[in-house]
Amino acid sequence: MSPSILEVRDLNKVFGGISATKNVDFDLAPGAKEAIIGPNGAGKSTFFALVSGYHRPDTGSIRFDGKEITGQKPHEIARLGISRAFQVSNIFPRLTVEENVRSAIQVRRGKAFDLFSRADMVGLERTEEILSLCNLSPKRSRPAGELSQGDKKKLELSLALAGQPKLLLLDEPTAGMSIEETKETMELVDRLNATFGLTILFTEHDMAVVFNHAQRITLLHRGQIIMTGTPAEVRANEQVQKIYLGGQA
Amino acid sequence: MIKSLFDKVDLTPPVLLVLGVLFLLLPLLPGEFPLVVGTEILILGLFALSFNLIYGYMGQISFGHAAFFGLGAYTSALILRPMIEAGQLGYVGFFLALAAAVPVSAFGALIVGFFCVRLTGIYFAILSLAFGELLFYIVFSWYSFTKGDDGIQGLMAPSVLKSGLVYYYFTLAVVVMAALLLWKITRSPFGFTLRMLRDNQNRTAFLGIDIRRVMLLNFVIAGAFAGLAGALWGPFQRSVSPALLGWHQSGVPVFMTLIGGAAHFAGPLVGSIIYTALNAYVTQFTTYWSLTIGLIILGMVLYLPGGLLSVLDGWRQRRRKAGT
Repeated sequence: MSPSILEVRDLNKVFGGISATKNVDFDLAPGAKEAIIGPNGAGKSTFFALVSGYHRPDTGSIRFDGKEITGQKPHEIARLGISRAFQVSNIFPRLTVEENVRSAIQVRRGKAFDLFSRADMVGLERTEEILSLCNLSPKRSRPAGELSQGDKKKLELSLALAGQPKLLLLDEPTAGMSIEETKETMELVDRLNATFGLTILFTEHDMAVVFNHAQRITLLHRGQIIMTGTPAEVRANEQVQKIYLGGQA
Repeated sequence: MIKSLFDKVDLTPPVLLVLGVLFLLLPLLPGEFPLVVGTEILILGLFALSFNLIYGYMGQISFGHAAFFGLGAYTSALILRPMIEAGQLGYVGFFLALAAAVPVSAFGALIVGFFCVRLTGIYFAILSLAFGELLFYIVFSWYSFTKGDDGIQGLMAPSVLKSGLVYYYFTLAVVVMAALLLWKITRSPFGFTLRMLRDNQNRTAFLGIDIRRVMLLNFVIAGAFAGLAGALWGPFQRSVSPALLGWHQSGVPVFMTLIGGAAHFAGPLVGSIIYTALNAYVTQFTTYWSLTIGLIILGMVLYLPGGLLSVLDGWRQRRRKAGT
């Protein structure tokens, strides 16, 4: 038995002749907090989409928590414990903030098909917990579509948390956030990892965020893994400098 | 304090209460005609409420919902007809004939839904229309079983229920119970699963929901309630005909829901009051009913796209703003 919670082997995905993911091998230990970086179009989002089942890989295998999940549907993978928070906030705009979180919790508890309970009586404590964890309590009765970008991203994270995941995939969790909100959100990410032992894999454009919050960093370029290492190793790597700074460094 | 309470309370209960009182008192109007119109409002209102599970709550539009209304109408008609011919129509048989429409329509919706829920948007709409027309043609052309274009005539309710007044209150009771059940479903976790689907299908799948199963279950529930409404129709109109399954009939709940407001539970019922009453009274003065309803829909879509009940939302929002 391998100790990895996520085990990716020789993963390939081609879109219209271009390799979005090429021969990717990737392991993630339980309780890790790691980042995937790479320039635009490096294949970060594709990699997340493959792991969460939104795209099917052409070849290769993905194992999660000891189970083969390659080719499974998004809802099946979500049930196994992988939650994904999206780059562009992906929420339920006509529901209130509270209803967003509450409904996601009810799904997790297998209540999605419950016709006869009252929705406003199920899963309230957990809703409360997540809302205050993500600092959204004051905005609970606002329709989610009316929130600011930063608050939408927080709600996005709340929805991912409501799934009680073992592995949280965060696609640019701080994109569109102010400096204050970025700080607040990344502190929450650290807390989720340290206090609740949640395994977290995130992508991010903001290198300061990556270097300050990731334990290990994997660099993707044109669908391939260039290197994996600690922030210090990545910072010192020549190839990284080339890719990011166009060889001027 | 009162203001914040007012913000929290859903507007549907007061709206339903007002409607309930109106419906209870309606027979005080002189003559038989208001009873006929009232019964029609209730039956078509239930039909439209069931349609709105698919439209307002799940976010898909069906142009074939009358298939299940008609299926229900024919089911009860085909069971009632032999009993009436034999002169043996009793209450038990009558209620069983009505009740039988529900599982038959639900089963029909299960089969049609199985295909429709594979698609969304315009494709869902067109496929539902295609299946509606398919069922229409089956009923239309299967003469030995359904009497085809002739329809089934001479339907009625037993003894006391034959009176327009009693049948009106009977319909009111059935529709109120069905509406309460529907109301409960829309407030349930399943009701919110539907809203999630409406707002964002992809996200719902990523939370771990099998979208097709949700859509199919909802389609079946909506079909079952449409079937119940259809079952009430035959004994009320004394006949059923294939047109009850056709696309014209499928347009009725669409119009009603747009007029009343899809975002409100009671919207389709309010829409039914306006549509049906206008239909009944306008046609007394002019034959241009289609023109009339067309102009109303036009005005509605242009100036009040959320339907009549959306006026309440605006009013509430203004109050909230004034309060803060």
